[in-house]
Amino acid sequence: MAKVISSSHSNAASETQGYADTLSWFDITPSDRARVRELAPVADRVGDEIINDFYSHILSFEEAAKQFADDKQISRVKQGQKRYFQELVSADLDEAYAEDRRRIGSIHERAGITPTLYIGSYAFYLQRLGHLVLDAMEDDPAKAFGLVLSLMKIAHFDMALALETYVGAREKTIETQQRQMSELPTPVLKLRDGLLLIPVVGTLDSYRARSLTVQMLEGIRDYRARAVVLDITGVDSVDSAVANHLIQTMTAARLMGAKSILTGISADVAQALVKIGVDGESMNTAGDLQQGMELADKLLSA
Amino acid sequence: MAVRVPILRQGSHLIASIQEELTDSDILNLQTRILDEVVKRQADGVIIDVGALDVIDSFGTRTLAEIAAAVQLRGAKMVIVGIQPEVALSMVLLGLTLDSVPTMLDLDAGIAELKGSAQ
Amino acid sequence: MKRAAIAEVQQVNVQHDGDVVLARQMGRQMAMDLGFSKADQALIATAISELARNIVNYATHGTVEMHPITNSRDTGIHVVVSDVGPGIDDIEAAMADGFSTGRSLGLGLPGTKRIVDEFDIQSTPGEGVTITIVKWKLR
Repeated sequence: MAKVISSSHSNAASETQGYADTLSWFDITPSDRARVRELAPVADRVGDEIINDFYSHILSFEEAAKQFADDKQISRVKQGQKRYFQELVSADLDEAYAEDRRRIGSIHERAGITPTLYIGSYAFYLQRLGHLVLDAMEDDPAKAFGLVLSLMKIAHFDMALALETYVGAREKTIETQQRQMSELPTPVLKLRDGLLLIPVVGTLDSYRARSLTVQMLEGIRDYRARAVVLDITGVDSVDSAVANHLIQTMTAARLMGAKSILTGISADVAQALVKIGVDGESMNTAGDLQQGMELADKLLSA
Repeated sequence: MAVRVPILRQGSHLIASIQEELTDSDILNLQTRILDEVVKRQADGVIIDVGALDVIDSFGTRTLAEIAAAVQLRGAKMVIVGIQPEVALSMVLLGLTLDSVPTMLDLDAGIAELKGSAQ
Repeated sequence: MKRAAIAEVQQVNVQHDGDVVLARQMGRQMAMDLGFSKADQALIATAISELARNIVNYATHGTVEMHPITNSRDTGIHVVVSDVGPGIDDIEAAMADGFSTGRSLGLGLPGTKRIVDEFDIQSTPGEGVTITIVKWKLR
């Protein structure tokens, strides 16, 4: 389901189909839309009242009130709310409507409005609106109840669109952060004459492995290092391409005249190394940093 | 124009310091001269400084390994010094790992290596 | 693949081993001008060196032609090394690691293929060999 709603890059035909599927998932039928449209005149009349109530409600919460800078902003947001409200009861529910809901979802996400604030607000609206509907149709409670149910369906559909946008935006943020993690410069530390320590922390992807190679090899030249301890304790996993890259880097270090020692190999990383045919014999490895340093001392004095 | 790499004597060691890019014939010429000198001077160690080279390809690597092997047959030791970071990486990616020849960072380290192994 | 904006083609005629040095120096210079990293400059020069040497060793004469590729997304170097010579009978064998027909280590072609992004070899036995390589700049 999530896939259908968020598949904005698929081709137009399947998107239209996906959108129709989504509406049927929420069991939104033409009769729901017709029923909700009956509310339009009522909504116009009572819209301002509900919205005013709503803002006094949220402004009584410190967390929510923080979202608003001044009265001017509040009145601007109220205008937006009114439109949102009118669109809800006009129940066009076409693709433009969905696109608009997604856009609003992304504005909310960027503004730091949490799902709790968003859903809570919606619940407040529905509750007020529900009461109004029941009051207006006092003589036909069954019809009123049907109308409220239709309204609920559309509201949930709305919330789903907004939350999908939230999740999508959050995924994007996480992706960006991971990218930044992988672009973190790796420090090359000179421990003493001739000995370098390179602690690698975070995601070690091909991109970062390449820059690690350059930093390590240039570090060897610049510091005239005879040994390098490459500590990957802070690396959770590597794929075989990256494992291969590490081995090539250590071989290149040897060609430059420096011995390298790999320490802090996790179980996953060990498996990746074995998979590409590396064994402990062909390279210097040590369990932890301490043992790595001891091995470096031994190699340097040999 | 052929490039003639100077071969210097320092004690019982020979030092060949490559100053510029070499053609294949220049490298072959260097090979011949080093082996001649090792025999003539009774050298027990040879250092080839390749710090000025920004390409060491398969032919260069193979010839360096051949020089080292021939030097070793004379009972002497050979060390290659000064392989630059990007050159080292290209060699490895090309599959040239020069396993049989000791490599050191620079001339000082090379000299120390030869002295150390002489003791 | 669509490629646009081809600028300043460089060509070196290759017959002697001095030409090999000239070709790889020009390749390195072009890589430097295009902003390739030092490591990639060395890889491009090394690849050209390997391929140009094959002309000197196995063919009568040939050319190394290189040009920059710049399109909206990527920058690269395109190198065509072609010779007039006996050609290669068994390309598959020549591309297998460890294969050697003569003075090479057997690493020339497969090794070169490993250090570039695109590699294409065409040969007509009795006429010659044309090898095309492309190296892309990392974005």
